[in-house]
Amino acid sequence: MIEAVNLAKHYGSKTAVDGVTFTVRPGMVTGFLGPNGAGKSTTMRMIVGLDKPSAGSVTVNGKPYVKHHDPLHQVGALLDAKAVHTSRSAYNHLLAMAATHNIATSRVNEVIDMTGLAAVAKKKAGGFSLGMGQRLGIASALLGDPQTLILDEPVNGLDPEGVLWVRNLARHLAGQGKTVFLSSHLMSEMSQTADHLIVIGRGRIIADAPIAEILAGSQQAKVRVRTAEATRLGELLSGTGVQVQSNETETLEVTGVDSRRIAQVALENQVLVYELTPLATSLEDAYFDLTKDSVEYHSQELDDAAPAGALEGTLK
Amino acid sequence: MSTTTSPAPSAAAGGTGLTFSGVLRSEWIKFRSLRSTQLLLLFTFVAVVGVGTIAAFLRGTIIHQLMKFGAERPGAVGGHTLTMDQAISAAGAQGINIYGTPIAGLQLGILVLGALAVLLISSEFGTGMIRSTMTAVPKRLPTFLAKAIVLVVVSYVLTLLAAFATFLISIPILHSYGISMSLGLDGVVYSIFMGGVYVAGVALMGLSLGTLIRSSAGGVIVLVALFFLLEIATSLLGLVPGDFWKYVGQYVPSVAGGRMLEIGDKAAFISPLSGGLIFLGWIVLVTVPAVISLKTRDV
Ligand SMILES: Nc1ncnc2c1ncn2[C@@H]1O[C@H](COP(=O)(O)OP(=O)(O)OP(=O)(O)O)[C@@H](O)[C@H]1O
Ligand SMILES: [Mg+2]
Repeated sequence: MIEAVNLAKHYGSKTAVDGVTFTVRPGMVTGFLGPNGAGKSTTMRMIVGLDKPSAGSVTVNGKPYVKHHDPLHQVGALLDAKAVHTSRSAYNHLLAMAATHNIATSRVNEVIDMTGLAAVAKKKAGGFSLGMGQRLGIASALLGDPQTLILDEPVNGLDPEGVLWVRNLARHLAGQGKTVFLSSHLMSEMSQTADHLIVIGRGRIIADAPIAEILAGSQQAKVRVRTAEATRLGELLSGTGVQVQSNETETLEVTGVDSRRIAQVALENQVLVYELTPLATSLEDAYFDLTKDSVEYHSQELDDAAPAGALEGTLK
Repeated sequence: MSTTTSPAPSAAAGGTGLTFSGVLRSEWIKFRSLRSTQLLLLFTFVAVVGVGTIAAFLRGTIIHQLMKFGAERPGAVGGHTLTMDQAISAAGAQGINIYGTPIAGLQLGILVLGALAVLLISSEFGTGMIRSTMTAVPKRLPTFLAKAIVLVVVSYVLTLLAAFATFLISIPILHSYGISMSLGLDGVVYSIFMGGVYVAGVALMGLSLGTLIRSSAGGVIVLVALFFLLEIATSLLGLVPGDFWKYVGQYVPSVAGGRMLEIGDKAAFISPLSGGLIFLGWIVLVTVPAVISLKTRDV
């Protein structure tokens, strides 16, 4: 269980995390989703006390992390693939980490086997590939068999087998009643792993909901209707399974009926309609929609590929 | 929700939770598991003994000359022979102490072990290892203390061994000049045992500088400035007429620390004890800000 209340972090004049409040619950996988620079890593560093919050507070399993007498049994954290001395072997790194909590050498060998590092464990960590470094980071996170697991972009650099392994591990640990909190930029990755999503952009929480809700919300296509007679059309459309919302004058947001049906009703009743736009049609779209105002680092679009399509292409 | 009680350490991992002895063991594992550290320690031992051996030859030659030709310039006409004791004290008056031979190579020792101490923590900042370390020990200070203990013990023991080895080697060398070197000689035992105290102190300062500056190059540069350049600078300023700069020169870390090792009377303002206290003052001066910085700054 992780509980953050009004948690904020400023680096000089830069606000990395802007007063976030959220709870990560045990027994499920919670995804922490956001574009580059959104504040995911900063939030995670504050959870384990590496960065001091500028304001607010965060507790893990009921206490600030620093107050625990057995930190590695409370939280296992993979924060950065580079949190290892480059000249030390993976085995000695894990042995030194384990020694602080008097964890037996047999457990060190166990996590080495679990993460598939046995063949390279006696080699210098500095020579590891990105994926091997990531596996070592996961091995040290698992060392204390922690109640809460925090993984910052765990699949970064992993091969497909590794990605699948992390996904199964996260699901398995959540199944054992542990708290699993993992960050990603990729909605598609999260949709396969997480039960709950916290979406962050520019240091603020944009969404905090069960993944099923987010999926339902985006799969049920929403249609924006601009019409001269919003109230009348709204009444005409309403019925079972149909939701009509009006946030602006002459504008309706309708879920549960498709554009064609709306146009037909309008035509039959002689209502003037001057816009019919389907909204948030896919998960990726939902994510783009949620974060579009909070992406700090825009990349230039390619001329001959739609950005969403290009992204899909790289994911699948 | 609400204040959940922390779950007991899991069965899979075992372990008793965080203990200081565990942190100490962890720091020892880290220390011994770097090839570069092992090589530097070996190098230090060889270098300290090597320089001590050369010093034994040089000091032997000088005292031998004094015994043969007297206190005037070697070879000067009219000089008369001195006994060994007379020659030793005549040389001592010129700052050439026979009893200091076992630790003659100490300057090299403080340079290498001091730099090693800086690196012990600055390399953790450089590689990102510090984040793993501080996640395991979120209170942070036990890690600093454990590193300090490892450094103090290693520097002291290494210097003691090197000094004793140099002493043994110097016996036949000095004997060949007709000088009998023994533990009974005034100051020999003292210098063998005190050399390590000085080196351990320098290592502590190195650790603090590495903690404070967080960069290997920066930390080593400041250490060298404190222990070598400062002495050179003040001795140059000592040429200024008047006693002020000569007085100030006694307070720089290398001079004050060096005074701890000398029991003989040398033209100096401060006694070995006050030298030691001034040196301790320098250690506190860098360790306190280092500890505060480690406790409060983000890593
Ligand atoms: N130590 C620091 N000093 C100054 N600014 C920082 C520091 N750490 C992070 N920031 C800034 O804070 C913001 C949030 O960074 P953070 O690393 O938390 O984002 P993120 O969500 O993890 O991004 P990514 O997906 O790229 O990993 C960024 O704008 C970053 O530049
Ligand atoms: Mg990040």
